[in-house]
Amino acid sequence: MNLLAPQAVLAAGVVGALGLGLRRRSSGAAARVLALAAPLIALLALCRLLASGSTGAPLPPLIHLDLKGLYWQAAIYLGALPLAVLSSGDDVETALFLGATLGMGLLAAAATLPMLFVGLEFMSLPAYLLVARAGEGNARGRLEAAVKYFFAGAFAGAMFLLGMSLYYAATGSLAAVAGPIGPEAQAGLALMGAAALFKAGSVPLHWWLPDVYEASSPEVAGFLSTSMKAAAVLFLMRIVALAPQAEFASALPALGALTTLVGAILALRQKRLQRLLAYSSLAHAGLLILGVGAWAALGRGPQATLALLFYVVAYAFMSNGVFLFLKASGLETREQLRGYAARRPWLAAAFAVLLLSLGGIPPTGGFLAKFLVLWQAVRASLWGPALVAALAALASLGYYLGLVRDAYFEEPAGAAPAEGCKTAALVVGLCALGALLLGAAPLLMGGLGVWR
Amino acid sequence: MSLLTAMWTFPLAAAAFCLAAGRFGRSTARAAALAVSIVYFALSLWLLRPFVASAGQAVLVVSGRPLAFGVSYLLSADGLSAALIALTAFLNLLCVLASWKLDVSAGYWAAFQALAAALAGVFLARDLFFFYVFWEATLIPMFFIVGIWGSDNRRHAAVKFFLFTFAGSILMLLALIAAVVAHHGLTGVWTWDLKALLGTEFGAAAPWIFLGLVVGFGVKIPIVPLHTWLPDAHTEAPAAGSVMLAGVMLKMGLYGLIRVAFPLLPGITVAWAPYMALVAGVGTVYGALCAMAQTDLKRLIAYSSIAHLGFCLLGLVSLTAVGLAGGSLQMINHGITTGALFFLVGFLYERGHKRGLSDFGGLVKRAPVFSFFFGFAVFASIGLPGLNGFVGEFMCLSGIAISQAPIYAVVGCVGVTLAAAYLLPAYQSVFWAPEGPGSVSDHVDDLDAREKGILWTLCALMLWIGLAPHAWLQVLEPSIRGLVK
Repeated sequence: MNLLAPQAVLAAGVVGALGLGLRRRSSGAAARVLALAAPLIALLALCRLLASGSTGAPLPPLIHLDLKGLYWQAAIYLGALPLAVLSSGDDVETALFLGATLGMGLLAAAATLPMLFVGLEFMSLPAYLLVARAGEGNARGRLEAAVKYFFAGAFAGAMFLLGMSLYYAATGSLAAVAGPIGPEAQAGLALMGAAALFKAGSVPLHWWLPDVYEASSPEVAGFLSTSMKAAAVLFLMRIVALAPQAEFASALPALGALTTLVGAILALRQKRLQRLLAYSSLAHAGLLILGVGAWAALGRGPQATLALLFYVVAYAFMSNGVFLFLKASGLETREQLRGYAARRPWLAAAFAVLLLSLGGIPPTGGFLAKFLVLWQAVRASLWGPALVAALAALASLGYYLGLVRDAYFEEPAGAAPAEGCKTAALVVGLCALGALLLGAAPLLMGGLGVWR
Repeated sequence: MSLLTAMWTFPLAAAAFCLAAGRFGRSTARAAALAVSIVYFALSLWLLRPFVASAGQAVLVVSGRPLAFGVSYLLSADGLSAALIALTAFLNLLCVLASWKLDVSAGYWAAFQALAAALAGVFLARDLFFFYVFWEATLIPMFFIVGIWGSDNRRHAAVKFFLFTFAGSILMLLALIAAVVAHHGLTGVWTWDLKALLGTEFGAAAPWIFLGLVVGFGVKIPIVPLHTWLPDAHTEAPAAGSVMLAGVMLKMGLYGLIRVAFPLLPGITVAWAPYMALVAGVGTVYGALCAMAQTDLKRLIAYSSIAHLGFCLLGLVSLTAVGLAGGSLQMINHGITTGALFFLVGFLYERGHKRGLSDFGGLVKRAPVFSFFFGFAVFASIGLPGLNGFVGEFMCLSGIAISQAPIYAVVGCVGVTLAAAYLLPAYQSVFWAPEGPGSVSDHVDDLDAREKGILWTLCALMLWIGLAPHAWLQVLEPSIRGLVK
């Protein structure tokens, strides 16, 4: 079976969605089916690939697929599913969504730097438009955020190109090189790494993130926070792997620890829920970057890779779940959350599970994810960053528990908020279930092959 | 399914059962909670039985196949675990009975069952990963118990309780990870099995690992600079919540020291014992002095817990047979005595809706049975010979006097004296002093049959342990034998 089948399915989906736009009257149902079917089929194709275990099929020179690339695609497509389920039925939005997902898939399969760049731009360009277009109300705010996002992204892309040129000039190669590298190549790698950190939202390149996540519609914010972040982490790992001797990798743990601390502290003071979750997303990005730093320091072993992979998979459930809770409940501020448990007990319970999971409280998937990353950090003797990350986890509990407190311990005040989207509520429930099961399931998988 | 697995899965299923029963109304959920608590208590006695029969020699183990990440499903129970689980199940049952007249939703009953499940897990887990998971899981039900069903300042208290404990336990987690990583570095094997980790040479990391563990457990005990969450949480929790908090959850910290920290790092334990004794001594006196300053009866008892847990810690860090046995016996004693006191304050609050020392007076005439039981528990708490507190405190003080400088024993004796100095005036002003202005004593009826039953059992236990501690010590002693220096 072709190794690029998932990407091919997504590409077909993009073409199909654009084709729908040619019809004079589009009902929306076809676009909805397409938006859901393409990632699902891609995911199924991926599962078949993983089950067959064949990575030896001949590939064109720009493409390379290792197990990491395949598993990461699974995390990416998984994170995209909630947005696929909640598709608005607009053919352009569908094309943009599938295009961004395809870009992430291409990024995961890139063998050389130009291909990485193609993947990067392919996933970013539709995402800018998606932020601007998808959702109802506040079109101005979304447009502003999209412009901001675009400039930030364009800047990141330019940095990547500059870094790539420097690297090529210094080494004469667009792929990995063995042996020591000079200062020019170091600078090139650092610039490319900065582009990846930009996408992941690392301090001090994070300033665009809260605005963009706050202004986009919740389901798009969830997509950006999960799939896009997973892709950015893989992107960062690819650049680190390009030249393991690169010095910028040793800065990653400190950057990650700083990011998670900044995200956690800034989230504490937020009144608007979506902005709060945006900062929380920043805090999780920090842990992932710390994890990449540990992964690099540990010689990119399978256990550290597994820790990161598990994190992005668990995060796909948690972050999508909380963002969709906003859609399902129609809540906007912390004030409105007061006493929500009395109004809709099941939805509030799912939200509480997701929050505790994000906070890293056992027995949830979020705990296991944080635990594995901290474990790798300790293994790599990154004591300082690990302690800072632990401190940040404590600070972040301040608002996760604060939200649970608002929903459960306060009396309901004011009129009940308008009923939100029913499908979203269902997805929130599934995400909560997933987050809970992920706390136990990996233990039952018998070592996952690498941890004996 | 083995008995040990059932000890934590049964209450978990029971929690779900209570929630489901809640669909048929609040009284159905309550009845369901009572039924499952009785069954659970019976199970816990069944667990305790072999240890009593063999004088604590038996050890029950469940060992499943290794799971991922070096984690394996390993449970083991010895006399100490079984006794603490029996205490948990016993207090859990009494909590259900004591809350019988509250008009609360099914979640309340479910939270208590879930708490019992997590606590049993802590006392049984031999795999440190599971130990940590259960340890943290205890926070969730208690967070909701305090936050939803507590008194006025409950929201603040619940979050504070959670954050403080989490701050300690994340350090504990880092310490555990460091221990596992160090073991892997030496042997090449990933394991979280406590038994396999024993005897590892941690080298330069050892003091840090020990520090992380002691801080993690110390927040829970609580040792003095880390205690500030306790007065808030204990005061704001509903009566039954305070009983579980003081009666069982504080013991988790001491249990962690005995089960994990001391055996894992015996060298550091011996080296640091004098400092820990100092902290314990300071805690004993400081807790007592704080208790003397309180005007709120429940807060007073909360502070008295800090003092009493200081005694337990004094006994444990003496690292002598008598001190360790006394410390572990005192863990059980404190659960019973302070449990009784918190129940009584809860009953008082239910009647008068106040807890201040000056809000009552002359209760001895109005509610003689109430006064009798309160006096009984107060004397047990002070350490009157013939009651349980005396035995434990005496053994702790003897232990510390033998092993460390006698000054610690002197400090401990000051603590004992101070206990009388804060508990007796409190008892006097609520029950014996004439009613002051604004007294709500006329709302206070005497205990009804249900409440009397709860206190009869508790007081009988105090008397039993006080008069015949031998049987109890026999169950506990083999668990701590290995720790004797």
